Amino acid sequence: MRKRPKLDVRALPGKTAGEIDDRLQVATPLRRLLNKVFPDHWSFLLGEIALFSFIILLLTGTFLALFFDPSMREVTYSGAYEPLQGRHMSAAYASTLDLSFEVRGGLIMRQMHHWSALLFMASIVVHMLRVFFTGAFRKPRELNWIIGILLFWIGFTEGFAGYSLPDDGLSGTGLRIAHAIMLSIPVIGHWVANALFGGEFPGNGLIIPRLYIAHVFLLPGILLGLITAHLALVFKQKHTQWPGPGRTNSNVVGERMFPRYAIKQGGFFAIVFGVVALMAGAFQINPVWYFGPYEAAVVSAASQPDWYVMFLDGSTRLFPPWQLELPGGYHIPPLFWPTVVLPGILTILPILYPFIEARLTKDRRAHHLLQRPRDVPNRTGLGAMAVTFYLVLTISGGNDVIAEKFDISLNAMTWAGRIGLIILPPLAYYIAYRVCLGLQQHDREVLAHGVETGIIRRLPDGRFIEVHQPLAGSGHGDAEHAQLEYSGWVVPKKMNRLGALGPAIKGFFYPIEKPAQAPVSPGRPPVSAGDRPAVTDSPERLEDASRR
Amino acid sequence: MTSDQPAERRAERRGGRGWRLGRTRGVDALHPASGPPSRARRRVGAVVRLTAALLLAGGLYTAFAPGVAAEDTPSLTDKAIQGKALFDTSCVTCHGRNAQGVTDVGPSLIGVGGASVEFQVGTGRMPMARQEAQAMRKPVQFTPEEIAALAAYVQELGGGPQVPGGSLRPTTSDPEQLALEIAQGGDLYRLNCAQCHTFGGGGGALSSGKWAPRLDKATDRQIYAAMLTGPQNMPVFGDNQLTPEEKRQIIAYIQNLQDDRDPGGLNLGRLGPVTEGIAIFLVGMVILIFTTLWIAGKS
Amino acid sequence: MSASTTQGAAAAHDPATAHGRTEQPRGGIDLDDPTLSRFEVVREGARQDGVEIVHYEPPFPVPKTRGERRLVRIVTGFFLLTGLASTVFMLVYILWPFEYAPGADRSDWFTPLLGVSLGIALISAGFGVMTWGKKLLPHEIAIQERHEGGSAPKDRKIAATTLLYIGDEMGLRRRPILGLSLLAGLTPVAVAAGAPFIGALIKDPNKGHPLLTTAFREGIRLTHKDGSPIRPEEVSVGGQITVFPGVPGGATNRHADSPTLLIHLRGEDADALRANLDEINRGSMFGNFVAYSKICTHAGCPASLYEQQTNRLLCPCHQSQFLITDNAKPVFGPATRALPMLPITVNDEGFFVATSDYKVPIGPAFWERYS
Repeated sequence: MRKRPKLDVRALPGKTAGEIDDRLQVATPLRRLLNKVFPDHWSFLLGEIALFSFIILLLTGTFLALFFDPSMREVTYSGAYEPLQGRHMSAAYASTLDLSFEVRGGLIMRQMHHWSALLFMASIVVHMLRVFFTGAFRKPRELNWIIGILLFWIGFTEGFAGYSLPDDGLSGTGLRIAHAIMLSIPVIGHWVANALFGGEFPGNGLIIPRLYIAHVFLLPGILLGLITAHLALVFKQKHTQWPGPGRTNSNVVGERMFPRYAIKQGGFFAIVFGVVALMAGAFQINPVWYFGPYEAAVVSAASQPDWYVMFLDGSTRLFPPWQLELPGGYHIPPLFWPTVVLPGILTILPILYPFIEARLTKDRRAHHLLQRPRDVPNRTGLGAMAVTFYLVLTISGGNDVIAEKFDISLNAMTWAGRIGLIILPPLAYYIAYRVCLGLQQHDREVLAHGVETGIIRRLPDGRFIEVHQPLAGSGHGDAEHAQLEYSGWVVPKKMNRLGALGPAIKGFFYPIEKPAQAPVSPGRPPVSAGDRPAVTDSPERLEDASRR
Repeated sequence: MTSDQPAERRAERRGGRGWRLGRTRGVDALHPASGPPSRARRRVGAVVRLTAALLLAGGLYTAFAPGVAAEDTPSLTDKAIQGKALFDTSCVTCHGRNAQGVTDVGPSLIGVGGASVEFQVGTGRMPMARQEAQAMRKPVQFTPEEIAALAAYVQELGGGPQVPGGSLRPTTSDPEQLALEIAQGGDLYRLNCAQCHTFGGGGGALSSGKWAPRLDKATDRQIYAAMLTGPQNMPVFGDNQLTPEEKRQIIAYIQNLQDDRDPGGLNLGRLGPVTEGIAIFLVGMVILIFTTLWIAGKS
Repeated sequence: MSASTTQGAAAAHDPATAHGRTEQPRGGIDLDDPTLSRFEVVREGARQDGVEIVHYEPPFPVPKTRGERRLVRIVTGFFLLTGLASTVFMLVYILWPFEYAPGADRSDWFTPLLGVSLGIALISAGFGVMTWGKKLLPHEIAIQERHEGGSAPKDRKIAATTLLYIGDEMGLRRRPILGLSLLAGLTPVAVAAGAPFIGALIKDPNKGHPLLTTAFREGIRLTHKDGSPIRPEEVSVGGQITVFPGVPGGATNRHADSPTLLIHLRGEDADALRANLDEINRGSMFGNFVAYSKICTHAGCPASLYEQQTNRLLCPCHQSQFLITDNAKPVFGPATRALPMLPITVNDEGFFVATSDYKVPIGPAFWERYS
């Protein structure tokens, strides 16, 4: 009897890898992937939050899609939630109620999905701000910047479609407003609104199914494609990095992808998922059962869209009652400017910004090193302006809630928003600009004069001076100061950053060190209690001590 | 000075017209008319004529004089008298001595009914602390008995709507029927109330510093009274418009909103996307940014 | 090192040389050297990618120190916590009651418990993995060359020439009619391919003038949501009710343009309104009753916040305020058109009826003419 060759388990991985490589030649590409170097800074991980939230959205969304009925067919509710017993509602709303109250784990999935959507948009905005303020959008990364702007707007649309699917009282009002926005577009507005809704609002019952297909198929497909392109570009062009020791415009200093970087990514994914799950358990979001089914005659105070759409609600609330009457009896309604023209400007302008800045600074070189915001006060000021503008609009989107909670007149809030929108952004620009200049100046001052040690010394002529620790070789008081060049990176401003004060303080929220190991001042040996002469000691003892 | 003639006293009480009538009509008791009969007889006759004249005058006056002027106290129940005493010390500054209102200070309370008092005083809104856009709920200044007394006084003073006694919930013991009534109340609430008080009863802003208050502290009677009387800028939902049965359904729904614990966790004020947006930044993004600082530091 | 490694290294080496690619290492490192450590092979491989590992420091060169053991305990603890929390999650998921019950009971804790346990499980896993990566893995600093900038000029030339040659091969310059006919032929195809997406959606929106009409006509009753008609006595003074057209489905979203606000004004307010009535609204009131369209003329939300003392109607969406005693003209906020007034009267049966449709289009403004 022929013996079967014994299966050598330990050689199995090697043999498998060999078989795969025979067919696909993956050895070198795999090694290239494993060895890719990524720079290390906390602000480079913000985009990851968006990526991980997107994955969470896909996973939870798949679950929800198994139970949701995207139909506007009218049904009579006979489910578990008693305060809506016997009410007429669409099948979409009824299936959302079923998900929330009758599907095991349905509510936590709904809440994880919605919180994750808010986190997705929040992290996109924070990531975009990081990229803007550090200049990472410059050549050769303009295309990635454009893809990012598109990702924001497509995510925005995806979120709007998503929260409109349940056809509840709050989002239905949003759909009504969306219809009015389309209607306000000159010439083609009525045609567009009619095409999408299938007739006068609410249309022929197809708007929810259409939003559904957009939300689960069309838009996620586009998002996936754009995210893949976004990441592929980062991969190909390699990530930018901060200037610093050993870093140049033509290298990347950091750690290799595997295992280090990948482990951090995996851990971070788990933490993002965990935070979303925690928030979904701790905080209720979008309780549609209070809103009731959408009815055209019903509305609630404190009606707002989700936060990432709220800036458009704010622009609509603030816009003055200006309607353009054109000859021939045609009109351009006041809704057109804050909801169609403004988003158009807010898309075109950011997309063109890298090219505008390149032209204004006449800088056409490729940049792989980031800039500290203080080193580009113009851009930082512009960014501060944009952020202020956006914040005033978003806050104005919730101005009735703020008015009610803080006992402010609603009319006053509207006027404050209108005036604030004009005055605050230029003010923010000015303040940011001056702050940047001040910080730059301080950097140069430390480079020229050294780090403040906190030691006050009295000179023989009676003056008090603070001792500075110079950063360059020659000391203070030389005929020629050694002029250190500012290299675009953080200038150490504290003694512990120079290592001159013992080890840097460990600990993030509070110092981790034992009192006995407290750092001592430089230039003097540690002083123990016994060495120090007491004040009441005799003059002889004092002399002795000083001579020692 | 009170005269010793009953007719004159009566006439005096009525403002002295009888007295004047007595004076213009006839003769002064101290100056009788003179004539041929003997002095004593003339005196007696004068007195008799005077008395008769006075009686006639007084009687005619009693028969034809107009009704009581405001100084007369109308007949009030004991409770209302108690209420009046409270009213006179706490409310007249703004609402006038007889609740007729003071221009630019306080409205008239004639016709507002006991229900208004139950709502305004029972929620502490009245006495109002100062002139402002709207009275706000404050610690109640009176005990429930005092409030009932004030309500009785205002009701008897000028009439108006009253909150019915007993339970103000739907009268059914069948839990399924009760659920249907609550659901019907929800429909009515969303159509008539949610636009100001929000879907979750959290309260909303009105124009120029006014607001529709939160409903979490309102009792059944207060909700009923508010619907019935339309306090300040709230529209009036009289019993002709929202029947008592419909009001009970609405009350059942509102209290159910408060009793039902939120199944999804902390409700963030039931205010919707504003607080949700704040939460994602203050909780979610803050935690995650601290995490990124821990992961990668500042290189 | 063991023979298998050398064999493995040799085996991996063979296909490369077989394909003609030489992988002669720089710096003279011989991959067949049996004394080579794995790390040195890795470092050499990294050099092939332009990566130089300049700093590599294992955190615990001496095994089994207290610090290392402490960290291992911490990571293990995190992973065990993950397992525990996940088990709690599964138990809660399977055993805890979750169906809705009125009031406050255990089922209200289902979602929070699931979220917290899942959150702890995942965060703990993340912390464990992170601590492992940060504290137990060697610290390294690697530098990679970017090789950035455009392709080499000769590569560009080759690519450009290849592309242009395609044009030569196609012979479009020789035979221009081919290109023109292709364009002329394929353009309609492209249009035809895209046409159904747009064509099926597009209908003439102005057929039947939907924006200029609602469900109200002469004689149509004003009804409650349940369809019952309304008498004047049923609206309190200083009160308002939402009314719908008395047609089938009048109170549903099928007639989303028709909800109307019927307001019973106080005497002095009604007099003020009558004195202010615009030409188009004359005769539309009935006594002290007035009916305005509820659909806000700004963006279509129901403008329903009626302030009975100031006689302002506030729309909660964008805070437009309409003055009821002046034809519902907008006095604040972004709205520009007054709310249309529905002409009403009371019929012989004593119920409210409309005397005609709204005289101006209701709801948000649009481009086309209003009549």
